[in-house]
Amino acid sequence: MTTAEIERSTAPAAAGPARRSQRRRAGLAGYLFVSGYTAMLLAFGVFPTGYSIYLAFTNNQGQFTGLGQFTKVIQDFRFGSAFINIGVYLVMWLVLVVILTVVTAVILRSRVRPGLSAVLRFLFYLPGALAGVASVLVWLFMLSPSVSPASGLLRALGFSTFDQVLAPSNLPVILVLIAFWTGAGGWIVVMYGALNNIPDEVLEAARADGAGPWRTAWHIQIPMIRKWIVYMGILAFASGTQLFVEPQLLETASLQRVSPTWSPNQLAYVFAFQYGDFNAAAAISVFLLVLGLIVATLLVTRSGLFKVGDE
Amino acid sequence: MTTSSPAQRVRPAIGQRSSRFVSTLVVIVILAALLVFFVLPAIWLLLAPTKTAYQMEHSFPLSFGSFSQLDRAWQHLTSFQGGAIWGWLKNSAVYSAGALVLTLATSVPAGYALALTKFRGRRLLLTVTLVVMIMPSAALVLPIFLELNLFHLIGTVWSIILPFSFYPFGVYLVYIYFATSLPRDMLSAARIDGASEWRVFSRIALPLARPVIGLVAFFSFVGNWNNFFLPYLVLPSSSQFPIQVGLNQLLSSTPSFNPVAGKGLDITSPELALAIIIAIVPVLVLFLFSQRALVSGMLAGSTKG
Amino acid sequence: MRSSRITMARRRRRPIALAAAVAAGAALALSGCASATQTDTGSSSAFKEATQVPGSAITVWTDSTRLPDVQKYQKEHPDVKMNIVTYDGSADGSTYLQTKVQLFDRTGKGWPDVVFASPTDVTWASVPTSPSAQAFAAPVDQLVPTSTLDNFAKGSLSPCQVGGHTYCLRNDIAQVVLWYNKTLMDRWGYQVPTTWEQYQALGEKVAKQHPGYVIGSIGDTNSQESYFWSSQCPAQQLVAQNTLKVDLSSPDCTRMADLLDPLIADKSVSTQGFFTQGFNGSKVLMAVGPSWYGQYVFDSAFKTPAKEIAAAPPLKWDGQTATYTGDVGGGIWMISSHSTNIKAATALAEWLTTSTSNLENAPTYPAYVPGAKAWLANPANKDYFADDVTQVFINAANEVWTGWSNTKFSDATPWSNAVLPALTAGKSLSAALPTWQTAIVNEAKSAGYTVVTK
Repeated sequence: MTTAEIERSTAPAAAGPARRSQRRRAGLAGYLFVSGYTAMLLAFGVFPTGYSIYLAFTNNQGQFTGLGQFTKVIQDFRFGSAFINIGVYLVMWLVLVVILTVVTAVILRSRVRPGLSAVLRFLFYLPGALAGVASVLVWLFMLSPSVSPASGLLRALGFSTFDQVLAPSNLPVILVLIAFWTGAGGWIVVMYGALNNIPDEVLEAARADGAGPWRTAWHIQIPMIRKWIVYMGILAFASGTQLFVEPQLLETASLQRVSPTWSPNQLAYVFAFQYGDFNAAAAISVFLLVLGLIVATLLVTRSGLFKVGDE
Repeated sequence: MTTSSPAQRVRPAIGQRSSRFVSTLVVIVILAALLVFFVLPAIWLLLAPTKTAYQMEHSFPLSFGSFSQLDRAWQHLTSFQGGAIWGWLKNSAVYSAGALVLTLATSVPAGYALALTKFRGRRLLLTVTLVVMIMPSAALVLPIFLELNLFHLIGTVWSIILPFSFYPFGVYLVYIYFATSLPRDMLSAARIDGASEWRVFSRIALPLARPVIGLVAFFSFVGNWNNFFLPYLVLPSSSQFPIQVGLNQLLSSTPSFNPVAGKGLDITSPELALAIIIAIVPVLVLFLFSQRALVSGMLAGSTKG
Repeated sequence: MRSSRITMARRRRRPIALAAAVAAGAALALSGCASATQTDTGSSSAFKEATQVPGSAITVWTDSTRLPDVQKYQKEHPDVKMNIVTYDGSADGSTYLQTKVQLFDRTGKGWPDVVFASPTDVTWASVPTSPSAQAFAAPVDQLVPTSTLDNFAKGSLSPCQVGGHTYCLRNDIAQVVLWYNKTLMDRWGYQVPTTWEQYQALGEKVAKQHPGYVIGSIGDTNSQESYFWSSQCPAQQLVAQNTLKVDLSSPDCTRMADLLDPLIADKSVSTQGFFTQGFNGSKVLMAVGPSWYGQYVFDSAFKTPAKEIAAAPPLKWDGQTATYTGDVGGGIWMISSHSTNIKAATALAEWLTTSTSNLENAPTYPAYVPGAKAWLANPANKDYFADDVTQVFINAANEVWTGWSNTKFSDATPWSNAVLPALTAGKSLSAALPTWQTAIVNEAKSAGYTVVTK
C-alpha cells in the first residue's frame, strides 16, 4: 500500500457523523465476521493453552507447585539432550529452508521460462503430498544402502548399513532432509506467488538502472517479500519445535535405535502417557511455548510484520 | 509474465557475458540438484510396488518389475484386515472434507475482518492467533481430548473434525492477503455508496480473495489429510482411523520392520510402498487441479500497489 | 494519525504492567507450594467389578499374529458378541495400549475387555493411573481357578504377579536356546558347543575358515536378553519392592562382554541385527535366540530351507552345574477390570491361553504346560526342523533365570539407545558397559525406582 492511499483512507474529509456511524457499523460487522473463528480459537487454542499452563504449575492433586514441575523436568536426564537435538535441527532447518526456498523462488520467477517454471514448481511440490508418516517411510528406504537409489552416494559417504546411517549424530541431518523434501516445495510455491505480486514496473526500473538479476533479487525482490519470509520463518520454527511424528516413526522403524525421547515433544509424550504425569508434560510444552514466543516476538518486531495491521 | 527485458536485449559486453555464463551455470546446477532431490524418491516409490521385496534389494533401484507383481501387492494390501485400507481412506476423506468446510466458513471472514475492518480487540485477536500458531501441538492434544470428552464427542467424527477446522494459519494467510493486496479505499468507497458490510465482503472482497481461499483450502486439506498425532491419540478404534494412522499400523504389521508381530502376513516393503501411493493419490490429484489456480491466482489477485 | 499512535503506545504498555504483576504474584506464591512429584496412587488390591450386563459385547484387542486364534473362538462361540480390534500388540516397547488406557481412564469409558500385551504392560496395568482411577487389569487369581494357574510353566506367571495378585495369563514363553544350521555344521565337521567357552572357540574358528558366516548377532533390540540374561547379569534385578539392582560391573556381566568382544572383532558375531533391513540370512551358521526364532527368523525372514535348522540346549559356563537361560518377549493376556461382561472376557482369555485345541496350533511356544505338550505333539510345529526340538524346548522353558525382572521401563530402550549405536560406531562391548549402566540407571530412576549397585 502506498502512502497516498493511507492518507486517503484516513483523510479528515471523511470524518463527521456519517463517518462515525460507518465505523460503528464496521466494528459490529467485524465482530460478526470473526465470531466463528473466535469460538474455535477459544475452544481449541486458548482453552487448551491455558489448561496446559495451569497443569504446568500444579501437581496431580491440583495443588499449586510454583516452578516445581519446571525444575523437575529440567533435572530429567533426557531434557538437555532433547533440547540440544531440537536446537541443532532447528538451526540447520531454518538456514536451509529460508535460503534455498527464496533463492529457488527467485530463480524460478526471473531466470526460467514460465512454462518450465510451472513444471518445476509442480515437481518440487510433489513430495508435499507425502508429509507425515508417508515421508518417513519413503526416507527409510532412501537411507537404507541396500535398497536406496542413492546407495552409491551413501556408500561413498562411508555408510554401508542402515544402522550406520542412523547413528545419533546423523539424525538432525536426516530429519532436515525429510522436512525439506516434504515442506520446501510448498514454500517455494508461496514465495513464488509473493514474488509474482511485485509489479513488473518496479523490476523494469531496476533493470533500466543496470541492476543484474542477482542484484535485483537482493535489493528489490527479497526485501519486498520480507513479510512472507518472516511468516515462513515463524511457521518453520514452530513446526521444527513440534517435531514428533518423524522421530517417533524412525524409532519404530529402526527397532529403537533412535531414542524414544529424541525431541522435547516426545519427552512430553513419554511423561504424559508412560508415567501418567501430565503436569510434567505440560511443563515441557510451556518451555516450548516460551521459546517459540521469544523467537516469534524477535522476528515480528524486527521485520515489522504487523505494520499493515497497525494502520 | 515477462522475463525478457530491455536489459537482456542490449548486447552485453565480453566480461558481462562470461559472468552471465557463470550465473546461468549456477542456476542450472541448483535447479538440477533440487530436481533430483525432490523427484528421485518419488520415482523410486512409484516403481517399488512392481517388484518383490527381494528384487527391491537386488535389482537396479529404478528398474521396473512386473505388472503381475503389482497385482499381487494390490491383492495382499486390499485383503489386509478385510480391506481396512478402504475404510481408512473413507475416514480421511470425511475428516478432511468436513474440516475444510468449517475452516473456510470461519477463517475467510475472520482474516478479512482482521485486515479490513476496525473493532476493539483486533490486535489482541491477531496476537493470540500468532501465539497459538506456535504452541506445540502435543501440548494441546491432551487438553483438547479432555474437552472433547466433556462434551461427549469422543468416538464421534466431531472429535477429529472440530479440532481440525481450527486453522489459525489459514486466518493469518487470509489476513496477510487482504492486508497487502486489497486497497482499503475501494471498500471505503463502497461503504460510502451505502453498501452493507456483508455486501462489501461478499461482492467485493470475496471474489478478489478467490486465490487465497484456494490456497487456504488446499493447505488445510493437505494438512488434515496428513495429520497423524490427534487421531492417533484420540480415536479408540482402528475402524475409525484415517489413512495416516492406518499406515502406521501397516508399518507395525510389516515383517520388515516388526518381525515378531507380522509373521504370516503378506505386508512387505512393496505392499507398504503401494499403500503410501494410495494414501497420497487424493492429495496429488488435488494439487494437479489446483496448481494453476494457486499460482495464476496469486498473480491476478495482486493489486500492484 | 498522530493521536492514534500515542494511544497505541499507551495500550502497549498495559500488557507489560500486567505481566510484571503476574510475575510478582508468582514469585510471592512460590514460597508456599506443594511438591511437584506425582503422589503415589495407592494400593492396587481394591478390585471392584463394574456393573455386569450379561450377554453384552466384549471388545478384544489383539496383535495380528494372534488374530486367527480370536477369530477361531468367535467361530466356535457364535453366541458371544465380540468386537475384534487389531493393534501393534505392544511389541518392541510400543506404548500404544498404555496411552489409550490413560485416556480411557480419563473419559471413564472405552476400555477393551480383553487385550494381548507384553509383560512390561503389567507393571502399569496393575496399578491405577490416577488417584480416581481403578487399575486396568483385573486380578485373574480371583477369576480363574488356582488349579489352572498352577499349570503354567514354572516362573512364566512371575511377570504377572504384583503385590500378591496375578494380573495376567501368559500366552507364550520365549526361552532362549542355541539355534544352528545342522547341514552346514555337518558339512564343515563342527561340534555343537555346549558351553560358552566352546561357543567362543567355534566363533574364532568360523572367522578363519569361513569368513562371512556368523554364529550370532548382538545388534537387535533384544540381543541383551539372549546373551546377558543367560549370563545371569544383574542388569535390572528387583531386590525389594521398588528397589532395582543395576550392576553391569558384576563378573556375570563382564564375562559375557569379554567373551563376545573378540567375536565381534573378527565379525563372527554380527553387530547388525537379524531384524535389520538387508541382513543376509543365508550366512547364519548359529544363533543364540528364543524358541520363536525357528519359525520367525529362519523360516519366514531368512527363508532357510526346511530340515536344515536344529535347536540345541542353552549354553552354560565351564564349571557351572545349573544351566540358566534368557527369555525374549512372550505375550500375555489381560482382562479389564472395567468389563461389563467379565464372565465372557474371562472365558475368552482362558480359552486363548489354556485350551488344547487352540494351543496345539499356536504360533509360538505356549506357556501353559499341557498346551505346550499338545503344541509339541503337533507335527506342523516341528516339521521344519532337522531334529526333534521337543526336549530342548521343554527343558529350556524351566531354565529361564528369574533375576532379570519385569520393570516399568522396557529393557530394550537403554540397550538400543546407548549400546547399539556405540557398537555400530566400532566401540567394544566392554567399553559400552558403563554407558549402558548409566542409561539403565537413568531410566529406572525416572520410572520411580530406587537404584542400588550392590
